[in-house]
Amino acid sequence: MRLLLILFLYPCFSFPQSSAESLVQEVADHLQAFFKNKAEARVAVVQFENYSELTDLAMQKIYQTLTARLENEKNIKISDLLINFANGRGEFNLSKVNELDYLLYLKFIQNKSKTGLGMIIFSRWQDKLVSIKYVEKNLGKGEMEFLNAKIFAFSELGFSKLAEFETKKNLMDIQSINSADGQIQYFFYYPDEIAIYLAKEERLEKNSSFKLKWTRPLYPVLNYLGKLLLFTFKQELFLTVGNNFSPYAQLWTFSNNQWLETAKISFVPFKQLAFNQNPYLVGARYDEGKNYFKDKIYFMPFTDLTINSGIYEKKAFPAYAIDFSTQEGQLQGVHLIDRNYNYHLLTADFTEKTPELNKKGASLAASEGQWLAVSDYSRQTDQIFFYDIKAGGQRPVYTGKIPGEIQFIAAGIWQMVKGFWVCIQLPQDGYGRSVLQFWGKRND
Amino acid sequence: MTKQKLLTQLCWIRTFKNKLSTQKMQIIYFKVLTLLCWIRTFKNKLSTQKMQIIYFKVLTLPLAFLLVYAIKPYYGGEISIKLNEPTSFTLNTANYSNLILYSLIYENFFYLQKDGAISTHVFDDYHYDAGSKTLSLTIKDNLSFSNGKPLTAKNIQVSLKMFLGSNLFVASKLNRIIKNIRINENQILIELLTDNPDILAMMTAPELVVLAENEQSFSGPFYPEEWEKSKQLTLKANPFYAGGRTYLDAVKIVFTDDSIPDVFLSSPKSLKENFQEFDSGIYQNIYLCFLQSDVGQNTKIALYTLLKKFNEASGFKYKALHTLTSDEESPVSIQIKTISPQKTASILKSSDIKLYILASLSYLEKDLTDFLKDSNLKIETLFIDDSQMMNFLNSTEVKYVLIDKIFQIKTPVEEKISRILKESSFNQFNVKYLRMLGELDEVKYSNSQELLMEQIASISETIINDGFIFPLFQKNYSLYIRNYWQAVEIDYYGRPLFHKASKIND
Repeated sequence: MRLLLILFLYPCFSFPQSSAESLVQEVADHLQAFFKNKAEARVAVVQFENYSELTDLAMQKIYQTLTARLENEKNIKISDLLINFANGRGEFNLSKVNELDYLLYLKFIQNKSKTGLGMIIFSRWQDKLVSIKYVEKNLGKGEMEFLNAKIFAFSELGFSKLAEFETKKNLMDIQSINSADGQIQYFFYYPDEIAIYLAKEERLEKNSSFKLKWTRPLYPVLNYLGKLLLFTFKQELFLTVGNNFSPYAQLWTFSNNQWLETAKISFVPFKQLAFNQNPYLVGARYDEGKNYFKDKIYFMPFTDLTINSGIYEKKAFPAYAIDFSTQEGQLQGVHLIDRNYNYHLLTADFTEKTPELNKKGASLAASEGQWLAVSDYSRQTDQIFFYDIKAGGQRPVYTGKIPGEIQFIAAGIWQMVKGFWVCIQLPQDGYGRSVLQFWGKRND
Repeated sequence: MTKQKLLTQLCWIRTFKNKLSTQKMQIIYFKVLTLLCWIRTFKNKLSTQKMQIIYFKVLTLPLAFLLVYAIKPYYGGEISIKLNEPTSFTLNTANYSNLILYSLIYENFFYLQKDGAISTHVFDDYHYDAGSKTLSLTIKDNLSFSNGKPLTAKNIQVSLKMFLGSNLFVASKLNRIIKNIRINENQILIELLTDNPDILAMMTAPELVVLAENEQSFSGPFYPEEWEKSKQLTLKANPFYAGGRTYLDAVKIVFTDDSIPDVFLSSPKSLKENFQEFDSGIYQNIYLCFLQSDVGQNTKIALYTLLKKFNEASGFKYKALHTLTSDEESPVSIQIKTISPQKTASILKSSDIKLYILASLSYLEKDLTDFLKDSNLKIETLFIDDSQMMNFLNSTEVKYVLIDKIFQIKTPVEEKISRILKESSFNQFNVKYLRMLGELDEVKYSNSQELLMEQIASISETIINDGFIFPLFQKNYSLYIRNYWQAVEIDYYGRPLFHKASKIND
């Protein structure tokens, strides 16, 4: 009964929400009008202050709504520099200001009955204020509460589930490549096989497969975990597969239209990166038979096919999940979820960047230097959070509910949209099936 | 049950009653082989299965609730369990304590879950082909023992042969139906003499485990690391365990009561704070034994009456036992008529009784001593270690002994009665008992439940008539597991399985 009441009452609560949105829309409309005759103006919010009773979280939502609106404006090239919003003020990555044409200053205030949003447009080239806009609306108590509530989602603007497939159990990773004929091939990594699929409209069709043979010593596991890496080197296609049940990863080479195992690697490769313009494989080692990585990151030069020489290592944390974000092939950051479910970000030189103690997760993946996806840390009713990491920080942007337990997340592409594959173990599923979802931003 | 069968049983009761009257014993046995008993025996199989499922579901509810918050299973930690100290690591599953210990270091071929499902960690595939009367077991690739040595089809073949050579009922049953055991690469082919689809169910016997050639290699989820005699034994997680590396790093088996372990047995509904209670599937029977033939019937009945009074005086702490095994499963119910307190006192007043009690019943000591003190009778109680019992048998001094037997509910009643005959008849064991055991063995393969029950009833009758063992009480046990351990499963045989146990680490 209570649930029904909530459902019936929801429209009443949702009505005042449009006040905040219309507040943002009016500001966005003003910007649209201002930039009407300008081409690809490089714009970013660089200051945002809050003097209202709304919380920092509400400010993040308002900021997020505004940037999402501006992302769709063809005359504006909006940059998202917000790193964090705390204590009534936004923290921005100001190192990027030199790359902008216009700077936006936002201020949220509240008088007796209304809440207002003020905006100043500052031209860097003219070195002066070029426009001021102030709008105010009556934000009801319900809307205030809604904005202050701990939900990040604005699903219609952000990530959403674009595809869903059923898969057999123990899927450990997915990667894709563009094949010679322009089709995208999807590689599904199972403990004993690589299955290669092709996209046919909204479906995936199995194209081929090859068996993986593992040799002693083998550490049987309760949960299969592994990483698949596809990369090219000197016009040749390579594949590596590593996992938590074998101390060695396998290197496979695509030669004469078939995959051949060519070497073993002493760690689990995650990514191919460039250091001093030389390619390296970077990865970590699982604690044998267990569900976490040991505390070291390994770098192996891949300049020729001499494997396992010149490996060097960097200290990190024992971690349930690790991924490497890149920018133009260079290491941007190392993202980790430690064994206490705390998130850590290490910069390219392996110094920890301001530990965010309150951020917790279980699985994660980074999509180049753009987005970071992190799963919640609960079973049966999981969640996935998407963070914006473009400016080197991490800011929660969107969240999505997951009807099960996330097994792994992998960055990927589906129907030309970049996003994340999310493999989910369904609750109470006695058949050992998993569900594979693809989450992406439709407007990207 | 048909009318004819019922009539047969009633005739049998009459015959037995007549026998009793001719023996003119003061003990009056009411052998009640009623329809109720039969229904109970057979219905038990159904109702207990249903009840087990319900119980299982009820038990799993709180565990499932905990799992909501479980996040990723945490690797690490040590669980402690109270067990009896073993004599060696050589497989010996004679009692419940050993059954648990050896299940930790030796891997079963198959597991029988509480819901009746069969599972295995060792085989990739198993199937029975009725046409060729062959059970094929395909061993998983690249398995190893705890020391890293390969675990192969040959080890499975040898382990099965060793099991078949053991003195166990299931082993002898399997021995009679297996024609040969062959190996074909990673397959073990068990050919039968006649078609028998139950072969797989028989192979779920908890004693059928994977053994290595080397005594220092173990196939179970853990392997022995350090043994402090009389104190504790530490088992470490086997990194090569076929079922997948356990979340636990270690199991500490304690032999003393110095601290409260994470897992232990105690009376049901003890309401231990921070512990979950599980049905252990075991019970302890307490018997009064008369080791010398010169003990008079009056004294036997008087002592029996006195001990019954003791239970009454202590608020019926223990369940009355009217059979040699368990009232729920036995085809016979035995009532030994007690005598009045005055008569008891007058008989025992003139006797100088030394009542020997096994150390495993030491929990009776305080209450019993107080009770005997109040009764003003000259009865001395002496506690003896279980291992010393055999030495006392030759002494004519030892006449009265309180002994116990721990049984698993799931063990077939014929196996229990056979154990009582072998282990508790002491110096009474003779050709007659040997013959009865042989007959019991024969009847088991007749596939006639009626004949089997009759044989069990006949053995019970003989033992009681011979007057050296009187069933007294039964004590049930629950298994208590500390709350912060999750996913400890209890299998069909009442063994706690720590394979997926992990500490709640939120």
